[in-house]
Amino acid sequence: MKNDKGEGRLQTGSAARHRIRRGPRRFTISMQKRLMVLFILILAAFVFLGFRLFMIQRDNGRSYTMQVLSQQAYDNKTLPYKRGRITDAKGTVLADSQLVYNVIIDAKQMLEKPEYLEPSLDAAERLGLDKEEIRTYVTDHPGSQYYIARKNLPYQEKRNFDMEVAEGIEKEEAAQREQEAAVKKAEEEGAEIPKTDPVELVYSNIKGIWFEDNYIRTYPCNTLAADVIGFTAGNSDGAYGVEEYYDDVLRGVEGRTYGYLDESLNMEQTTIQPSDGNNLVLTIDANIQSICEKYLKEFNEEYKDNKHKGNGTNNAACIIMDIDSGGILAMASEPGFDLNDPFNIDAVAGMPKLDEEDTPTSSYLTLAEARNLSDADKTRYLRTLWNNFCVGNHFEPGSTAKPFTTAAGLESGTLKREDTFLCTGQLLVGDTWIKCAHLEGDGILDVAGAIERSCNVALMQEAAKIGNETFCKFQNIYNFGLRTNVDLAGEARTDGYLYTADAMSEVDLASNSFGQNFEVTMIQMITGFNSLINGGNYYQPHVVDRITSAGGSTVQSNAPRVLKKTVSEETSSMIRQYCIQAVEGDHGTGKLARPAGYRIGGKTGTAETLPRGNGQYVVSFLGFAPAEDPQICIYVVLDRINKKKQDEAGRACQVTRKILTEVLPYMNIYMTEPVSDEEKLELEELGLYDTNERVPEDEE
Amino acid sequence: MPVLAKDSSDNKKLNKRRGRAGGHFFSSDSAEGLPAGRDRNYAKSREKGLQAYGDYSLVLIVLFLLAFGLVLLYSTSSYIGIVEYGDSAYYLKRQLFFTCLGLGLMAGIAFFPYRYWKYLSIPAFLGAIGLIVMIIPYGREVNGAKRWLDIGPMSLQPSEAAKVAVIIFTALLIEIIGRRRLQKAWGFLLPMVPAGVISVMLWRITNNMSSALVILAIAFGMLFVACPDYKRFVALAILGVAGSAALITYIVRSADQADLGFRGGRVLVWLDPQAYAGDTGYQTLQALYAIGSGGIFGKGLGQSMQKAVVPEAQNDMIFSIICEELGLFGAIAIMVLFVILIWRFILVAGNAKDLYGALIVTGVITHIAVQAILNIAVVTNTVPNTGVTLPFISYGGSSLFFLLAEIGMVMCVGRTSSL
Repeated sequence: MKNDKGEGRLQTGSAARHRIRRGPRRFTISMQKRLMVLFILILAAFVFLGFRLFMIQRDNGRSYTMQVLSQQAYDNKTLPYKRGRITDAKGTVLADSQLVYNVIIDAKQMLEKPEYLEPSLDAAERLGLDKEEIRTYVTDHPGSQYYIARKNLPYQEKRNFDMEVAEGIEKEEAAQREQEAAVKKAEEEGAEIPKTDPVELVYSNIKGIWFEDNYIRTYPCNTLAADVIGFTAGNSDGAYGVEEYYDDVLRGVEGRTYGYLDESLNMEQTTIQPSDGNNLVLTIDANIQSICEKYLKEFNEEYKDNKHKGNGTNNAACIIMDIDSGGILAMASEPGFDLNDPFNIDAVAGMPKLDEEDTPTSSYLTLAEARNLSDADKTRYLRTLWNNFCVGNHFEPGSTAKPFTTAAGLESGTLKREDTFLCTGQLLVGDTWIKCAHLEGDGILDVAGAIERSCNVALMQEAAKIGNETFCKFQNIYNFGLRTNVDLAGEARTDGYLYTADAMSEVDLASNSFGQNFEVTMIQMITGFNSLINGGNYYQPHVVDRITSAGGSTVQSNAPRVLKKTVSEETSSMIRQYCIQAVEGDHGTGKLARPAGYRIGGKTGTAETLPRGNGQYVVSFLGFAPAEDPQICIYVVLDRINKKKQDEAGRACQVTRKILTEVLPYMNIYMTEPVSDEEKLELEELGLYDTNERVPEDEE
Repeated sequence: MPVLAKDSSDNKKLNKRRGRAGGHFFSSDSAEGLPAGRDRNYAKSREKGLQAYGDYSLVLIVLFLLAFGLVLLYSTSSYIGIVEYGDSAYYLKRQLFFTCLGLGLMAGIAFFPYRYWKYLSIPAFLGAIGLIVMIIPYGREVNGAKRWLDIGPMSLQPSEAAKVAVIIFTALLIEIIGRRRLQKAWGFLLPMVPAGVISVMLWRITNNMSSALVILAIAFGMLFVACPDYKRFVALAILGVAGSAALITYIVRSADQADLGFRGGRVLVWLDPQAYAGDTGYQTLQALYAIGSGGIFGKGLGQSMQKAVVPEAQNDMIFSIICEELGLFGAIAIMVLFVILIWRFILVAGNAKDLYGALIVTGVITHIAVQAILNIAVVTNTVPNTGVTLPFISYGGSSLFFLLAEIGMVMCVGRTSSL
């Protein structure tokens, strides 16, 4: 510091003398000037920045203002609704939507503190996620706040996880409190503060994992009534069955939470709750349905791989209809599929191969072939599988049409019940010989006998008496060729498969009389037959009994609706009588259909398929039960049995018998007929007949 | 306190001389025109160590800026406070706490004779270095940068402490070196050494380029005032401008290569923020939108729509929200406040009774001016984005605390000056 003085002298000249010894250095005038320069520079910078602000405002003010307004993104999120549930008439749940959760990973939150990462990743692993995968995602996308790591976590798993975490946090907090208390106590007592490691936080450090509601559709009965119910992958877009037909009813309205900035720029959040879809209560009774399916399956199993590799039948189907409402109690068709796994291609194995027009051929698909199908072919086969045979397919009904022809004649007056016809085994119609089922000839038959023996020749003569006009008029009255508008998706059109009166030749009329040469759907047949039996009331067929709201109140009720009168009660009673005779009569073709303990009526059918003479038949039984006070109609169709000789309507009768044997007691319809010992044994096996129960009665 | 007494009598004589000469650059009329008696009383009261006089206008401006800053901070941070902590006043409360703490420190320092800081400057400098080094093992990472040290419930940014240390140490160095030797090359470079050391450490250890630059600027500003040679500064300025231009050209030329690092990327964003609107240009662009949408008088206090959008709205980008809420008028008012504050500082420095005090005030001036200018320049995209806070207004405990300490130093210099 020696030079200080000298320098000071230099700076201030004479003033240096006044500086006593080692006085501090002066802030000289030139320095002050430079300070001024510094100030001017600073001022200039501020002026420049002010100018810059002004320029931004002037040049971009408008566009930036608009930009700011357009950025006001309203944070919103849709809340899923719950799709309506489908139950059977007794309340058995057939389809339901279940609350599940999507696991969302918030990488930003997870990375907020280093100690969060590991516990959070472990927690993610407990939720069934791959730990390393999540780690990679989180480190690669540190800013991500919404990543759906797993979909459809079951409710129970989420609940368990939540409980585990909540318990863990509670324990850790309790441990912390305990430790703090110990330290405090030690402090108060003046004792040495116990040295403990801080509580290891695991659960408290789980961050960045949250859940989002979602619904998945489940079908608790798997394959039951698959064709009737249909399926949906998500919450909407039902496919097939009532899921498709009633899609808009089952759907709800999505809710929404959205945020917006209010006047004072606070983030306001508003939630519009989703409204859940309405429920469907079907007329289907799950028990009756499962009885039908059981025996159709049993039949299919029995004939599986019999004549050739493949299913027991191309289609085996059954409809049971409530006679006084048109409500469908059961509607089953085999092969079926699992509604929870509808895309499983294994289910199409054994089905007939399809040609280019999707009509079945006589070769069959093996499992290996099914699995190797191209995607387009897979779709074709699956569609065939999902299709409801009972409403979506049409076929020549065969002799089950005979009651309809007879009723047309009786109702129109062109036929009288005492009319008789001679059958010699075949009949010359125009210049074509048309054979009867019994080539040896049935002899002289009245109207009842014609149905009992299922005589084609007699029916051809009846039709000739009825005439084209009346026959076609009655086909229209029976709703053949028209959709029944049953509330199921995919009902087939059949208007192209019927003759009009002018276009109908003698041969056409003759073959139509016994159910060949025109095509119908099962639902048309059973609905029409239902009206013939119940006194002529053609009910609107339906599978949905009522629609209820999410809260349970009835929104809409499908009360029985008579669409038209097909025949009079008088005609109806005659048809009933003829059909009973066809089951009970000595020559009755439907004998095999009678269940133990009951009287029923019905008509068999054996229809040749096209091309004629291919040896392939559709056999069926169309009947009602019980005979005296009809409650239900039943229609069983077996399409091309896997058997060398297919033209045996008895197979359909046997299936019908098995179904009715269980269904009638289930419906609390009392037995009216004596039961043979053999039948007793059979019933006992099914648990439907208890010999012991009758013992006390006998003692009395 | 014999030293003090000697000083003041010395001062008085000097004042009289200056008054006669009429050449004092910053002499205020009040000081000039004071009768000798008053002057004597004034000196006497000062001898007591405590005195009533203070630079009231300076105190007023500081308090006004602080209050204004708190209001604006509350306005901009309430949204993010709710979002992050569920408490709209979260940031306000913390800032208020540091304001009170800082005001206490400011008052304390204002009454502490600043000549003793000379003895403190080397320990302070070493302490700052120690704090920065401590970041390596103990630092806390926030937003990917390790810049904080946790001390109990509070956290400290060593770079802010380093600024104070550099100011007092550089002032001491310049005073020791002396005016003549400053003109030599070594004498010119030596005062830059502490700032250089700290800057390099901040840059390498905390990756905090902006703080490093501010510290270099502080030392440079002090040197500029102390060194009686414009030529080398003009030369340095030209060199700096040319160097920056060359660097920018290089970065633009090699823009398609990815190895520019984030600083190179920031230069590209600066040149065309729209092109990077989705990622790196987002903050800059959103800040510009906020400024542009403010208009002349703004949307009104608390009415900003961008505070939810602009990242770091309560921090580096607070000025953009001020522009949006208070408009051009409010923004310029803030700048005027800063100019007035700096002018008051210039007066204090000009009237400081010694070089050391004047240099300290110069350091503080440079610190506040450089930060305010850089911050506003970043927000208006006048320079490439770099994280500098707006003094008194941006959220940040350490920054505010040490800033108020610096104000306390200025007040102390002013209190003992001839103003």
